Amino acid sequence: MALLTVTNLSKKFGGLDAVSNVDMHVDDGELVALIGPNGAGKTTLFNMLTGVIPPTSGKITLTTATGTISLLGHKPYQVAKLGLARTFQNIRLFANLSVRDNLLAAMTHRYTENFFAEIFRLPAYYKKEAKVGAWTDALLREFDLTDVADYDAGNLPYGTQRRVEIARATATSPRIIFLDEPAAGMNPEETAALMKLIGKLRTDFQLTVVLIEHDMSLVMNIAERIYVLNQGKLIAEGTPNEIQKDQAVVDSYLGGGVHA
Amino acid sequence: MAARWKAALVWLAIAVAGFYLINELIVVGVINSFIENMLVTIGINIILATGLNLIIGFSGQFSLGHAGFMALGAYATAIITQYLGNALGFYLSMAVGVVIAMVVAVIIGIPTLRLRGDYLAIATMGASEIIRVVLNNLKITNGAAGMYNIPALANWPTVYVLVCLTTLMIVNFARSRAGRAIQAIREDDIAAEAVGINPTKWKLAAFVMGAATAAVAGSLHAVYIQTIAPSDFGIMNSISILIIVVLGGVGSITGTFVAATVLGVLDTVLQSFGTLRMVIYALALILIMVFKPSGLLGRYEVSIRKLFEKKGVRHGTADSHESE
Repeated sequence: MALLTVTNLSKKFGGLDAVSNVDMHVDDGELVALIGPNGAGKTTLFNMLTGVIPPTSGKITLTTATGTISLLGHKPYQVAKLGLARTFQNIRLFANLSVRDNLLAAMTHRYTENFFAEIFRLPAYYKKEAKVGAWTDALLREFDLTDVADYDAGNLPYGTQRRVEIARATATSPRIIFLDEPAAGMNPEETAALMKLIGKLRTDFQLTVVLIEHDMSLVMNIAERIYVLNQGKLIAEGTPNEIQKDQAVVDSYLGGGVHA
Repeated sequence: MAARWKAALVWLAIAVAGFYLINELIVVGVINSFIENMLVTIGINIILATGLNLIIGFSGQFSLGHAGFMALGAYATAIITQYLGNALGFYLSMAVGVVIAMVVAVIIGIPTLRLRGDYLAIATMGASEIIRVVLNNLKITNGAAGMYNIPALANWPTVYVLVCLTTLMIVNFARSRAGRAIQAIREDDIAAEAVGINPTKWKLAAFVMGAATAAVAGSLHAVYIQTIAPSDFGIMNSISILIIVVLGGVGSITGTFVAATVLGVLDTVLQSFGTLRMVIYALALILIMVFKPSGLLGRYEVSIRKLFEKKGVRHGTADSHESE
């Protein structure tokens, strides 16, 4: 079943066709990778899918329990509420907030608090806080962040910050998580840990994962299906095996001697 | 007993002790009417500056129009107490002022909070000037001459209680779901939006909350000083509130308390220096900004609950995961 369907999506920046006529679909529970050379339009595509920039033309639809809805015209926070979470190519954490508060801030749309209960600390407030606190503790444990929960997120090592960002995206209780180059700047050890973490997102959190990545060993190892973008156009789609043999992809991106 | 109850009790004890201390000192005669006046001014400044700190320090929106909202509260009280010159009239007028300030904050906030940094500062400054000019030209506000003979309906205990109340509300607001949302927007609005936080809504919430407390301070100012004029609520007044926030530490309510007190005392002590006063005052500000650019306390907050919890953890009794 297609969870997310993209039809004929285009984005023009002035005279530049950043993304042109892209058709893709993401099925429920799938792990899809989006690859391509720098400037191919991968992040632009992500930004359109998560509502950050409006497409010039085309359609994006999401299948929900109540039916199929168009994501066009939704603001990023509305898209997030619909269950599409993301991380950023350049990490964007709430740097001066603790890791715990980073996760708590990402949960604000999952519960409500009465204003008067908040400012006068009525019992209802403590009940809500206990519930949300339990969600946070569970998430901290899942992502192995309990030890750093009270540190400011901005002071953590790079690899941990990546993990916090993925945890924060998961805290929004999404159905699809978009990871924009999660392995960028990681050493092989960290990349291996990341691979395990992405596996966990799928098995433990039942998330559908869409991944932009340049680390081909990671992509070829974990992706079920790959879309290849080049100069804004989709040039190939298929399983890792098919993509590695695709002449157009080899010519424009992978190059001659890559055997992942 | 849960740490939160202990902490609440300690804070209550501190508030009550502070009240009795001031009361006793007045009875003994250590605090004369001159010092009492200073304390009330400090109290009003604390109310103003904690509200502004919520807007600037927690939601990260640089607002320069706080005196405008204060004016709305002051004028609501001045006008209503003319007809209803008793305590009931005062509290009613305070409520009216708060509601007016909140409505005006929404009207100003929706278009201006789209702006960032300097642009927002200029827009809010302009909005506050509009409020001042309107007050300057209305008949009901008695134009530029202002309003006088406002009944003296507040004394220092009133101010003291309201300082405690507004601070409690703002601190609790900042440490709840709302506070986490507005702090996330301050840290990174794009990331905040990506996790489902509606930036317009929460920025506006902080702005309106700050405006409401400014109106409370305005009401107190009106009945304590008993004379108000539009010129009391100009840009310089907004800036002097901003100075308290910046000096104490943007994002630290404790810092706001310290800065309001330090500046209030400094202002009073220096009165004997005549014209040299402003020079010393300015020098003190410059020195603090040079040696402590994040303000006296940075983002530090005094937390009695943390104190209890730390002790608890050391003895292995409290579950640290229950914190926040």
